[in-house]
Amino acid sequence: MIRNLAKLLLSVAAALLMPLYSTPTFAAPDARALLKESESRHRTKTQQYSGDLTVVNKEGKVRKKGWNSYRQGYAGDSKNLIRFTDPPEVKGVGFLSLPRPGSDNPDQWLYLPSMKRERRIAPQDRDASFVGTDFNYEDMEEFDHEKYKVSLQGEETIDGQPCWVITAIPLEKGSKSIYQKLILYLRKDILYLVREDLIRKGEKEQAKRLILSDIKNVEGHYVAARMEMTDLKKGSHTTVTLKQISFNRPQPASRFTLQNLTREGGD
Amino acid sequence: MRPLLLLLVLLVLPCSALAEGFSGYAELKGFAYGERFAGEPYGAGWGTLYNKWEQRLGESQFTTSLRAEWITSPQSSPLVFDPADRKLRRPPLSVPELWLRVPLAGSHDLEVGRFQLGWGKTDGYSPADAFLPRDVTDPFADEKLPLWAVRLSGQEENLRYQAVLVPVTTPWRLPPLGSRNAPIASGALPAGTTFHEQDDAPPLPGFAALRLLATHGDWDLGVWARSGVRPAPILAFSLDPALQTGPVPVISVARRYPREHGVGVEVSRVAGPYVVRGEAAALFSTDPELGDALIGTLSVERGFGDGTLLVTLAGNAIDPPVDPTLLFDRGLLPALIVAWNQTEEWGAWKLVWDCGLKRGDGLLKAEVGYNVTDTWKVTVGGDLPYGSERGPLGALHGARRLVAALRRSW
Repeated sequence: MIRNLAKLLLSVAAALLMPLYSTPTFAAPDARALLKESESRHRTKTQQYSGDLTVVNKEGKVRKKGWNSYRQGYAGDSKNLIRFTDPPEVKGVGFLSLPRPGSDNPDQWLYLPSMKRERRIAPQDRDASFVGTDFNYEDMEEFDHEKYKVSLQGEETIDGQPCWVITAIPLEKGSKSIYQKLILYLRKDILYLVREDLIRKGEKEQAKRLILSDIKNVEGHYVAARMEMTDLKKGSHTTVTLKQISFNRPQPASRFTLQNLTREGGD
Repeated sequence: MRPLLLLLVLLVLPCSALAEGFSGYAELKGFAYGERFAGEPYGAGWGTLYNKWEQRLGESQFTTSLRAEWITSPQSSPLVFDPADRKLRRPPLSVPELWLRVPLAGSHDLEVGRFQLGWGKTDGYSPADAFLPRDVTDPFADEKLPLWAVRLSGQEENLRYQAVLVPVTTPWRLPPLGSRNAPIASGALPAGTTFHEQDDAPPLPGFAALRLLATHGDWDLGVWARSGVRPAPILAFSLDPALQTGPVPVISVARRYPREHGVGVEVSRVAGPYVVRGEAAALFSTDPELGDALIGTLSVERGFGDGTLLVTLAGNAIDPPVDPTLLFDRGLLPALIVAWNQTEEWGAWKLVWDCGLKRGDGLLKAEVGYNVTDTWKVTVGGDLPYGSERGPLGALHGARRLVAALRRSW
């Protein structure tokens, strides 16, 4: 559970990478160009925040978790450290992800205070979801538009904000993706993803919806402080709330090390 | 004196976090046994109150905890001062943690005090970890005892080290011999035999150890060496004529703690969706009842969505001079350990099968935990030892039980 949750939280880091800037005018909007521009703009050297995760199932039962997250680098080259703070039973659990040159899969370790040792963990199946949240591993991956055939479907207003609507279909035949189509909603003014509809393979109706909201400008960088994934079939939803967000603060070299991961009471 | 009293009150009384560094839990457990055993009742209870205080002191970290317990069965001692868990029985009050970590440089730390160690790579059984003292008052709990120690640890690039000095021996704590939780088959002794366990003080010096670890791509590698007093006792049985006052024999039980030296290697590798872990350890002792050991383990772990399957094989290539059940940390070898952990929306469950491959005894363990809220949890389960009573698990047939627990965390 914790290993899965820790990996999920990397998706939060990925979401934070969604670019935002004052946007130039796209005279003849092209989906690829929009996504490329969106992807390339918002890059920070480091990022840290505190987060809360709330899961509400269809019966209305609420589960909460809290953690601190630190990142250095960008996308596939990023180092990540996550430390859980709440609930008490998972307090102190740590997750470290380090990039490995030439590999799609980063090296990942989990530290469990109950075992007093770190454990290397293996990459999970893309379609493995973990119960209690509405995310799966594919949802966690940073969206790489180059792996999709993308096209501009039109425009739509979301929460009073004009958005570009872009469909993304996996390029490869027999793709590993569990989705046949993603529908992305990019805010026109800042080219920031505010909604994503996910349609599973072999299904007509969308399975899940991700809403990014409470967009703030923090230290010159836009960020969605609230992300909500709804499983439209299960009727449950998972909300991630970010607090104390900061960018480009120098991270100590020792932070992203196994030595630090095993420091109880540490970052 | 008053601040100390206040600290004790804060540590013992469950409370919402008065400070950011307070956490803990209160737990009530009930056991229902399948049979009466040596006059022990069908039921037992166990209450625990645990409070932990963590405090940052600049770049340093201070942590302490206090545990208060109440056990119905006669497995605990009266209120005694036993700060190193060296007494025969479990004290009602204990300090599981009391340590200070001071950073020496960027990635180098000095840790002093009382804390738990966690060694090795393989789960289920690790020869590096099995050596460390355990409290088997509850034989199915696998509770590790903390140590008074000094630890120097650090990392440079992909290399890490841990140097540990344990100046005081913390011995394995055994349940009362002859009780349902005792690891000695009662059938091997005349009916009605009673034990007179001597509360011998273990030797003062402990052990020293060095562990080196490296990471390279998919591989995590490690080597370790240790030398000193082995925390698991060698039991010495004798018939003291002065104690033979009734119709049944009274066997005196003393404890010896031989010295042992060990070296080991650890390997872990990611292979697609699997993590393969292995260890080998060579253990040397001149004690005639302990002898040498050459222990190997191999484990494979695979995640399936919200579940994890773990299979571990462990064995000792050298037959011990005495019945291995008397050696505790290697009593079950050779063994197969299979564990399935699964997380559900409502909580989690796990199934564990420990199987002794030599005597055919084993343990089936099942546990279901229901999260009532984020802080209230109900757990029900059962422990079913089976097979030959000559094996360490089969001997526990009298401890077959159902367990129910209610825990409140803060």
